[in-house]
Amino acid sequence: MLSFWDRRAEFVSLTLMAFIAACGGGGGGASGDSASGGSAEGTMAAVVDESTAATITGAVAFSGAPVEAKAIDMSEESVCADKYSMPPMTQRVVVNDNGTLRNVFIYVKEGLGDLTFPTPSEPVVLDQDGCRYHPHVFGVQVGQDITIKNSDGVLHNINSKPSENRGFNISQPVVMETTRSFRTPEIGIPLECDVHGWMQAYVSVVEHPYFAVTGEDGSFSLTPLPPGTYVIEAWHDVYGTATQEVTVGENEEAEIAFTFGDAAA
Amino acid sequence: MLGKIRESFRHPFWQAIYLLVLAYLLFDFGIAYLPPLFGIRSAPVPNSVVFQFTITALVGILLYVSDNEEKWSKFKEPINAALVDADKRWIRIALIVVIPLAVGWTTYSRVRPSVAAPVQLRSIHPAPPRSISFRGGTIQLARLENPLRADGSTEEDYEAGMRVYYQNCLPCHGDLLDGNGHYAHGLNPLPLAFTDNGTIPQLTESFVFWRIAKGGPGLPVEGAPWNSAMPAWEPILSEDEIWAVIIFLYEQTGWTPRTWGEAGEGGGHE
Amino acid sequence: MNKWPVFCLALSAFLVPTAGAAGQDVQAGQILYDKWCAGCHGFDGAGDGYAADYMLPRPRDFTLGIYQIRTTSNGSLPTDEDLVHVIDKGMPGTAMPGWEAKFSSSQINDVAAYIKTFSPFFEREGAPDPLEFGRQPRREGIAEGREFFEQIECFKCHGDAGRGDGPSAPTLQDDLDFPIRAADLTENWNFNGGGSVEDIYRRLRTGMDGSPMPSFSDLIDAQFMTEEQLWHVAQYVHSLSPEEGPTISDVIVARRFEGDLPASPNDSLWNQAEAFYIPMVGQIIADERWFAPSVDGLWVSAAHNDEQLALLIVWHDPSESPDPKWLEWQQSVAASMFPLLDSVGVTPLPDRLTVQFPTSIPTGRDRPYFLMGDARNPVYLWQWSSQGDVVPEATATGLGNVQPRRGESRTLASSAVWHQGEWRLQFGRSLATPDSEAELQFATGELIPIAFYAWDGSNGEQGSQRAVSSWYGIHLEQPTPPSVYLSPVIAMALTVGLGLLVVWRAQRREEG
Repeated sequence: MLSFWDRRAEFVSLTLMAFIAACGGGGGGASGDSASGGSAEGTMAAVVDESTAATITGAVAFSGAPVEAKAIDMSEESVCADKYSMPPMTQRVVVNDNGTLRNVFIYVKEGLGDLTFPTPSEPVVLDQDGCRYHPHVFGVQVGQDITIKNSDGVLHNINSKPSENRGFNISQPVVMETTRSFRTPEIGIPLECDVHGWMQAYVSVVEHPYFAVTGEDGSFSLTPLPPGTYVIEAWHDVYGTATQEVTVGENEEAEIAFTFGDAAA
Repeated sequence: MLGKIRESFRHPFWQAIYLLVLAYLLFDFGIAYLPPLFGIRSAPVPNSVVFQFTITALVGILLYVSDNEEKWSKFKEPINAALVDADKRWIRIALIVVIPLAVGWTTYSRVRPSVAAPVQLRSIHPAPPRSISFRGGTIQLARLENPLRADGSTEEDYEAGMRVYYQNCLPCHGDLLDGNGHYAHGLNPLPLAFTDNGTIPQLTESFVFWRIAKGGPGLPVEGAPWNSAMPAWEPILSEDEIWAVIIFLYEQTGWTPRTWGEAGEGGGHE
Repeated sequence: MNKWPVFCLALSAFLVPTAGAAGQDVQAGQILYDKWCAGCHGFDGAGDGYAADYMLPRPRDFTLGIYQIRTTSNGSLPTDEDLVHVIDKGMPGTAMPGWEAKFSSSQINDVAAYIKTFSPFFEREGAPDPLEFGRQPRREGIAEGREFFEQIECFKCHGDAGRGDGPSAPTLQDDLDFPIRAADLTENWNFNGGGSVEDIYRRLRTGMDGSPMPSFSDLIDAQFMTEEQLWHVAQYVHSLSPEEGPTISDVIVARRFEGDLPASPNDSLWNQAEAFYIPMVGQIIADERWFAPSVDGLWVSAAHNDEQLALLIVWHDPSESPDPKWLEWQQSVAASMFPLLDSVGVTPLPDRLTVQFPTSIPTGRDRPYFLMGDARNPVYLWQWSSQGDVVPEATATGLGNVQPRRGESRTLASSAVWHQGEWRLQFGRSLATPDSEAELQFATGELIPIAFYAWDGSNGEQGSQRAVSSWYGIHLEQPTPPSVYLSPVIAMALTVGLGLLVVWRAQRREEG
């Protein structure tokens, strides 16, 4: 009995510390768009020694000519069109005010060795609201539930098109939730709605919790990592992938930078 | 009652009636079940054939009931009775009403206007010309052999022919080469079924070359050139491509082409 | 003689694992596959065979392990029985024929086993379990099915009347980004997985993987609707098609009307004239060829009143072209079909329909060449375009050799309406015209050759790229001649006379 309470106390305090570390070290809402955020970090405490943990941070810069977003014509679907005061824009290439690129999926591709991480029990929520997917790019761990939510109440079908996993194509004609998951790691699985040809989201499935999606400031943070050498990959649905190798020691913080865009491609 | 029926089996008139009905039923419903017993596909029997067979059976039955005087007069008894007996008066009247009505209906259905398209007689394998023009040159068809067979190997030619077939012939002649491709239902006359033993096994490769190169428009008038959807492939396929697809046709169906020894000068069959 | 199978056998001994269900011979399957299937599906199973650019929908890519017609849950592999079923029966509405007449069931099993080797999923996932579909409820619930058809928004793709003209239809793509049609639910003979209520229910439960058609099973799990209610949707969809598929008749009978002919395409008088089905196929015999025709059949009705001839032509077309909403579709069809065009139209094209006759009723068997006539034998055309950009009457002496007929004395009129994925087009002309040289003079009681061409502009069709028909015949009914009624009466009278004579003679002989 006692040992149970001990473990529980230790778990709670470590979780709290990890959470503080993530917020403090990330440089301000770095992984804010990372859908799995808190819960994934909670579980990694069991695997990684917090006292020596390292952090990799960075940002994704955009180079080249600015890409103008196109307005989406939602006139066929008034329920969705009515949710916008300004015409909704396409989300494929979103360049932030500070010149960084949004919606880039960053993850540890190699370097974790034989470490295994428990599957988070919290699902990731993919919301269909205003005939757009929220979030547009997100990550999950292998086997982690994705709760697909229809907030619009008009027919959406969610057609996933993986190549390493088995796909699904399910219909949601009313406000409802459906849960699905992927069994094999795979980066950038398209999720599409055939009813609304403009709706697209990308989910990446990895075996560990070290992933992030760049948000409004284009930055990311992967922590708490065991010290070591890692291959970090950045993936964008238009510009493809880029990788960098980086070594971090105990309690170190390494900073890397990616550049995407016409010039980089 | 039962006794009466049993008795009727020995009476020539009723024997004749029973036999006739039996023969009709056999012709109309029985024949179709015979070919499958031997593994052959069956087809519906046309009414005219059933009618002919039934008439033949009737003649046979009449010969049987009239083979001696005694049987013949016994056969005529019930007929005579129906015509003269006082107690058969109602039967007599019924016959005089029913038979003319049947005759009237048959006449009406024959003379009433119908609009079936006349059968378009066309010669399937008309005589080929001795020579044809092909892309500016002249090809002598008589005694012409498939030049691709000269080197003894057809493996590559089969593959080249397969490509030609799948990119050009497939929609009409079909995956199974049975003339039932996904466009076949829209064509009249139907595309040729190469699987049919009345088609390419009866023809020399030279004849097939002519048909492919010149298509429907190259048919003589007796072949109804205006109807055929078979194009002249001369503008689209080269000489080698046509010879290659011919090799494909024979190998895929397992037929062998007719040789000049069997065919005579024409290269087709009459 | 043929070394090909031997070569394949030798090759497969190296490449193909002998794994397979009991009784399945993968090597034997490969020999059959290479000979009969590879032409479309490709030797490597990637759906890229020789014919792949020549058909839409394209041949299945077996390397993906994604199959439309299954009895297993959405996203799952098919069972062996599912694969065998499709090979046996083919896929209606596509170029895939049924093979059961050609191959034994053990041969088809072998081919199915070989097809599975193209995708690693079959080994990784193991044998899938088929779903329990239960049985169709005894009570038919078509009205209830219609309600759910609306609630679950089938019309978004399939259209309100089911003709594949829903608002989302123009943007539909398959998993490989090729354009794909929302099924026309009023033509169940073209349903890829079969047209029975059971077939439709299965497609609703499993979805058609690789296509935009999703599974509706989750709605049952979420208790939004019951299995029975989904069965009713299937019954409703089934009820949209006629009981029997179309039969093809060689002759279109133009009904003879006393007095007025139908005035417009929607005139109820048209109900009195029978509609005849004319199948249409792609024009694939002269450049530029067209392997992806959109219009696969016309329903033609005809009526005349000894003065005028009226033709009603009805066909399904999900788009009222020219329509900018379909421009992307138009471009993607052109980009994926042979001939692969570099420059794809940038403007939406109109729909068109042409009726073809000879310039005069043939006296012998001779007719003009069915594809637009030839120099010796011209054809006479009635032309219509949804944009009004054609001269209504023309003669032609071959494809691309059309001479418009202009002038004051034209009597040909046409009017058309498009509603929910259906065109209804009416032509009308007087039987006789002043120019009897170039224009067909219609006569009753004759069999007059007639043929049709149809273009769906939104499908990128123009010029020689069109749907065509063979020659059919149109017959203008004549008033029934009195001899039709007189002859039977005479025959009956003669028979009665003969009968009485026989009776009289027999009775006299008896007495005498």
